[in-house]
Amino acid sequence: MARAVKPHRNLVLDYSQDLRLFGTPLARTGLGLMLVTLLVLPTVVQDDFWLSVLIYSGITAIGAIGLNLLTGYCGQISLGHAFFIGAGAYCAALAGGRAGLPLPLWLLVSALVGAVLGGLIGPFALRLRGHYLAIITLGLVFIGEHLWRNLREVTGGNNGTSVLAQATIGPVDLGALELAGESYSRNQGWFWLVWVLVAVIALLAKNIARTRPGRALRAVRDHDQAAEVIGVRAGRYKVGAFMVSSAIAAVAGALFGAYQQHVTPDEWTLLLSIQYIAIIIVGGLGTVFGSILGAVFVGALPALIEEYSEYIPGVADSAGGDGFISVFALNQAIFGLLIVVFLVFEPRGLAGIWFRVRAYFRTWPFSY
Amino acid sequence: MRTRWRGLAAGFTGLVLVVSACGGAGQDDDGGGGQAGEPVPTTGFDGTTIKLGVLTPLSGTVAVIGQPLTAGNEVWFEALNAQGGVAGRYPVELVQEDTQYQPDVAVQRYNKIKGDVVAFTQVLGTAPTLAVLPQLRTDRILAAPASLDALWVREENLLPVGAPYQVQAINAMDYWFADGGGSTSDRICTMIQDDVYGEAGQQGIDFAADKYGFSVTNTQKFKVGTENYAGQIGALAGAGCQVVFLVATPSDAARIWGTAAQARFAPQWFGQSPSYTGALAQSAIAPYLQQSVLIVAEGTEWGDESVPGMKRMVADLEAHAPDEPPDYYFAFGYNQGRAMTEVLEKAVELGDLSRDGILEASRQLGTVGFDGLTGDYRYGPAAERNPPRSTTIFRVDPSKPFGLATVAYLLESEAARQYEFKKADL
Amino acid sequence: MNALLTNVFAGLALGSTYALVALGFVVIFKSTGVINFAQGGLLALGAYLGYTFAGDLALAFGVAVVLACLAAAVAGASVERLVLRRMVGQPPFAVIMITIGLLFVIEPLITAIWGFHTLNVPNPWNIRTVEIGGLVLGVRDLWTIGLTAVVVVGFFLFFRYTAFGLAMRATAFDPEAALAQGISARRVYAVSWAIAAALAALAGITLAAGPGGLSPSISFIALAAFPAMILGGLDSPSGAVLGGLIIGLAEALTRGYQDQLFSWAGSNVSVIVPYVLMIVILLIRPYGLLGTKDVRRI
Repeated sequence: MARAVKPHRNLVLDYSQDLRLFGTPLARTGLGLMLVTLLVLPTVVQDDFWLSVLIYSGITAIGAIGLNLLTGYCGQISLGHAFFIGAGAYCAALAGGRAGLPLPLWLLVSALVGAVLGGLIGPFALRLRGHYLAIITLGLVFIGEHLWRNLREVTGGNNGTSVLAQATIGPVDLGALELAGESYSRNQGWFWLVWVLVAVIALLAKNIARTRPGRALRAVRDHDQAAEVIGVRAGRYKVGAFMVSSAIAAVAGALFGAYQQHVTPDEWTLLLSIQYIAIIIVGGLGTVFGSILGAVFVGALPALIEEYSEYIPGVADSAGGDGFISVFALNQAIFGLLIVVFLVFEPRGLAGIWFRVRAYFRTWPFSY
Repeated sequence: MRTRWRGLAAGFTGLVLVVSACGGAGQDDDGGGGQAGEPVPTTGFDGTTIKLGVLTPLSGTVAVIGQPLTAGNEVWFEALNAQGGVAGRYPVELVQEDTQYQPDVAVQRYNKIKGDVVAFTQVLGTAPTLAVLPQLRTDRILAAPASLDALWVREENLLPVGAPYQVQAINAMDYWFADGGGSTSDRICTMIQDDVYGEAGQQGIDFAADKYGFSVTNTQKFKVGTENYAGQIGALAGAGCQVVFLVATPSDAARIWGTAAQARFAPQWFGQSPSYTGALAQSAIAPYLQQSVLIVAEGTEWGDESVPGMKRMVADLEAHAPDEPPDYYFAFGYNQGRAMTEVLEKAVELGDLSRDGILEASRQLGTVGFDGLTGDYRYGPAAERNPPRSTTIFRVDPSKPFGLATVAYLLESEAARQYEFKKADL
Repeated sequence: MNALLTNVFAGLALGSTYALVALGFVVIFKSTGVINFAQGGLLALGAYLGYTFAGDLALAFGVAVVLACLAAAVAGASVERLVLRRMVGQPPFAVIMITIGLLFVIEPLITAIWGFHTLNVPNPWNIRTVEIGGLVLGVRDLWTIGLTAVVVVGFFLFFRYTAFGLAMRATAFDPEAALAQGISARRVYAVSWAIAAALAALAGITLAAGPGGLSPSISFIALAAFPAMILGGLDSPSGAVLGGLIIGLAEALTRGYQDQLFSWAGSNVSVIVPYVLMIVILLIRPYGLLGTKDVRRI
């Protein structure tokens, strides 16, 4: 009987289907296509500029997934993400550069340090809520900046420090990859490294989100006291979310440092934190896919605007050039406008648009 | 289902291998050098036009520096092109990119244009320069940093101009003891901004303290963009400072001097060159500046016809960018253009405009003169370079075009000559 | 002793500026539940408008200040009308982000119109000083403290004794009950944005009239006012004023003595004092000094 009423399309019929990692054949095909794009793209787009834009976007995507676990799933707003990113970068400088550990180890060390630092923020998360917590984490960025400027041994003070961490796994050096007689540039190798890590961390985050901890996190987000009543230890999950999120942020920071090879305290500012918040909101709160979309969008948009700035009237692209607004200013204004427009018309972000498109086709012809 | 999935995956893997087999971009072969004779086309050089990169903040707060500095680059090369270009036959074209003064943006922009240029004639800012330095080394590209940091002197891939900040600070102290009527028993203090630039000035003063035998009574640090300096000024006044060496940028310097004027604290101030801008001479604190402040910089006062370099620069400015206001950053960019041109001429002479050819040319380059706009710089292998040791002391005079009048022209102290530039661990 | 008094005075002047900005934060938060990150942008906008009125149009400084505050108020109300009103009922994250987006729009607009260069706002204060009892005080600082005091008193009188003030308090207390009494929540929201923007503009102009002149980085001061706002309690106007003064004093005093007393904590520790103070106080009182603890029900 149940068979007889089975619909001819993939509708979610029971809860277990909702929990599947890659629900539908369409999703699986999409995933396959994405993996192929990931592998093939650097061989097609060999341009160093676009590769570096995509590498930075990938690194940002990793950090954004971390923040989304904390903010999107667990509901704790953090403006302190830049602090953990910075900590990760300095870990890479120490573990990967000075101690000369291989890639997996310096990533691991960064993640551990990030988790410990995140754990230290735990008590604040337990005591404070909502806006108060957000502003406290804002303080973290400033205190962090003070530390980075003064802990000269580790951070090189204001000069910054070289991050000489090598992207080596055993005999393979992703900075100068050689495969089947073909040698690949540093940017190509790094593209693969970063985006494979994006995939791994996305999978990790997705698995956290769809299993018991994920449900607990969402219960805490929606109402922490109610969550306690139904047996979720809200405090433990809040601290846990901070730890996981900071660990992922530190990994992103380590990659950022190792790719850029030199970092200074001027980089881990509030603006960076705000950018991450913008990414997860533009991408879509509480979705892993949205974090990645948001990061690529926010990372690539300025590059695109810049590329075509000569066709936009009123834009000055050289010193003393005509035009009243510089490319950067235009970029910032457009970025701001996009955030506003997005949130006014699609508060669920890019992922929300995607869900809507998907729902349209899934329920067609009854898609209203 | 499972098998189809696996087959699909295998198919994709095959495809990937096929595509990737011809997708490597590891070896970036860029022409290479002919031995003398005409330079052959290479990255950034199509046989006639030479392209040079500029990485500078054209927006954001530091655009105030990036804009005139780049205008200086532009005017120098436009004037050069009007005479035919490098070696009289290769015109130069600038490729400008906005770094917003952010290291990561600088790295992206560097990657964007490095394939189009033979070298970078300007990279503005300590942090952006440090951020692109590792890649400059790997890509074997020469770049001219637009700051007076001592860090750059011993770097093969960098082509600095001008006397570093340390030299300015040492010469300022020498001036004070020799001609300024001061003595080593004066209470000498420093007020520095909390970054690399501030530390450079402090190093110079510390070196001078060692050489001349005085001690620094008090040091105040501040963060860029602080709104209220009463605390620091109070501390300096409390310590009885008679001389204060200030390392700041104009907007902070204005607030600092304004606060000092309000507190009626009037020691002899020495301001490191970037502390000053022409607008200060027109502001409300101008009377205080005239009375208490000396600016430690390079070259000569704006429009001084007796210095050939200044005469030529003003003429070029009027011919190519008549609207550009007087600005010492403009002169800096102009000097950078000259240094880079000398390197390019050398490279043309050697018949090789490739990246390695240009690095080689910079190694073989001898002393480059700047006609009095800044001290002459002895280039060559990084270990043997000798930056200029001369400094000009200015006083503030609102009637002058840039608000500065010369007090001591190209002063070169023995102590400044002794300052050693060590290779920094970058 | 004199040095100490000078530092205290500087702290009060700085604290007054923080108090004005923080008060703006609180007004908006109390009536609409939004932390307005665009406050710094409004502050800069007000200051630059002041420059235009006093400099380009050569109006008397007092007139320019009033006009700039009015213009900023109109700008604030329009922002609320055009953008924020559509966000009523949306999650707080989204609304906060909108204000950040607005900041990103306002800043480049300002630099596109007025440029990056430092501008000198023609004003009667500049670096003039008066001597009171052996203490040299800046005229600008005195005016900042005085104007802040007047505005704060006016603000509290407005809320206490006018019908509209009552309406605003009612809306802040319970929007639905206020609506049922015939109070227009829309008008209350728009007016709170206008008030916040005018306060920010006043803070901006008094800052810009100092010796440093006016540059786009003036908007950063709003970041330093965050600790002031949160320290006093997000929903407490008197807390904002108190918080502003505490933060201003703490910062100025540390700055005066950091090389003697705080050298162990690294250079330039005064920059982070507001944040450290904020964290310590919030750990003891999670809702700030005067904020109301929210009652939570399941």
